Amino acid sequence: MSTRLDRRRLAILLAAVAVFSGALIAASLAASRGESAPAVSAPAGPAQESSFTGIPQQGAALGDPNAEVTLVEYADLQCPYCAQWSRQALPVLVDEYVRTGRVRIVFRGLAFLGPDSVRALRAAVAAGRQNRLWNVVEGLYSRQGAENSGWVSDAMLHEVAGHRAVDGSSAPWIDRELTKSSKAAQAAGIAGTPAFQVGRTGGPLELVQVSSLGAEGLRPAIESALAE
Amino acid sequence: MSDHRLRIASAFLALAGAAVSGYLLWVRETGANLICATGGCETVQSSQYAEIMGVPVALLGVACYAALLVTVLLRGENARLVHTALALTAAVFSTYLRYVQLELIGAVCQWCLASDGIVRGLAILALLRLKIAQAAPA
Repeated sequence: MSTRLDRRRLAILLAAVAVFSGALIAASLAASRGESAPAVSAPAGPAQESSFTGIPQQGAALGDPNAEVTLVEYADLQCPYCAQWSRQALPVLVDEYVRTGRVRIVFRGLAFLGPDSVRALRAAVAAGRQNRLWNVVEGLYSRQGAENSGWVSDAMLHEVAGHRAVDGSSAPWIDRELTKSSKAAQAAGIAGTPAFQVGRTGGPLELVQVSSLGAEGLRPAIESALAE
Repeated sequence: MSDHRLRIASAFLALAGAAVSGYLLWVRETGANLICATGGCETVQSSQYAEIMGVPVALLGVACYAALLVTVLLRGENARLVHTALALTAAVFSTYLRYVQLELIGAVCQWCLASDGIVRGLAILALLRLKIAQAAPA
C-alpha cells in the first residue's frame, strides 16, 4: 500500500468522522431545540405564576440536581389526596428543603384512575421537556374535577400546559415515560397514591409510610435521610 | 506495544463501554433506581438530550460499542480504518455530551463520565494502531 493511498484513506477517515459526529450533534441539538430551556432559569409559560418560581426544574425533577436527598412522589393527577398533599405539604417542604438546596423532588406520574388521568399526565410529562412539569401539575391539581368527568378538556390543558405541551403530548416518547413510571411504581411496591420514596441522591430509595398528608408526614423520613 | 495487544485492550474497553451503556439502557427501560454517586444521573438521563429523534443515547452507545468490538476483532486495513472512524466519532460526540451535562443541563452523570473516559481510551488506542500501521514497511 503506497503512502499516497494511506493519505487518501486518512482523509476519508477524517471526513467520515467530521460528517458523522457533526450529524449526531446537529440531530441532538435539533431534537432539544425549542423543547427546553436551561435548567437554571425560571420556567416560562402559561403556568409561570406558581410556587416553584426560581427553583430549577429538569424534566420531572424539581430542585438542585446535587441536593443531598431525593424525594420521589408517585401521584395520579385525578387523585384528590394527591391534590391535597400538593396544596398542604408540598409548599412547606419546598420552602423548607428544596429552596435551600437540600432536597430535590422527582414526580412520577401514574394514570390508573381513567382517561382524564392519562390526558392530564401526558400534558404534564410533555411540559417536562420545557422544564415546566411542576407548574403544570400544580395548575392541574388546582383545577381538579370529578373523576373522569371530562374535566381535563382541551381548553383547560391549553390554559395550564400551553399549546406546545398539548401538541406534544401524543409523542411516542411520552408512552415510554409513562411505562417507566409505572414500572418504577411496580418495582417500589406502590399500592396507592400519593406514595413517596426517600433516600440519599443517587443511592437506594426507601418507601415511606406517611402518617398524614401534611408536611409532618414526610419530615421524619427526610430528616433521617439528611442525617445519614 | 504491538497491534495485537492494542486490539485486546480495545476489545476490553469496548466491552466495558457496552456494559455501561447497557446498564443505562436497562434502567431506562425497566424504571429501576439508577445508582449514582454524582447526584445528577437521573437528571441527565431524564433530560431531552438523553435521546435523539426518539432513539435513546444509551441504545446508540450499546450499538456503537458493539460495532467497535466487532471492528477491532476483525483483521485488515478496512476494519482498522472503520474502527478508528467509529472511535473518533464517538469521542467527538462524547465530548459534546460532556459539554451538554456541564453547561446546558447543569448536572453530571457518573456513567456518562465513565463512558467518556472509555471512548477516549478507545480513540487513543485506535490512533496508536493507525500509527503502528503507518510505520510498518509497505
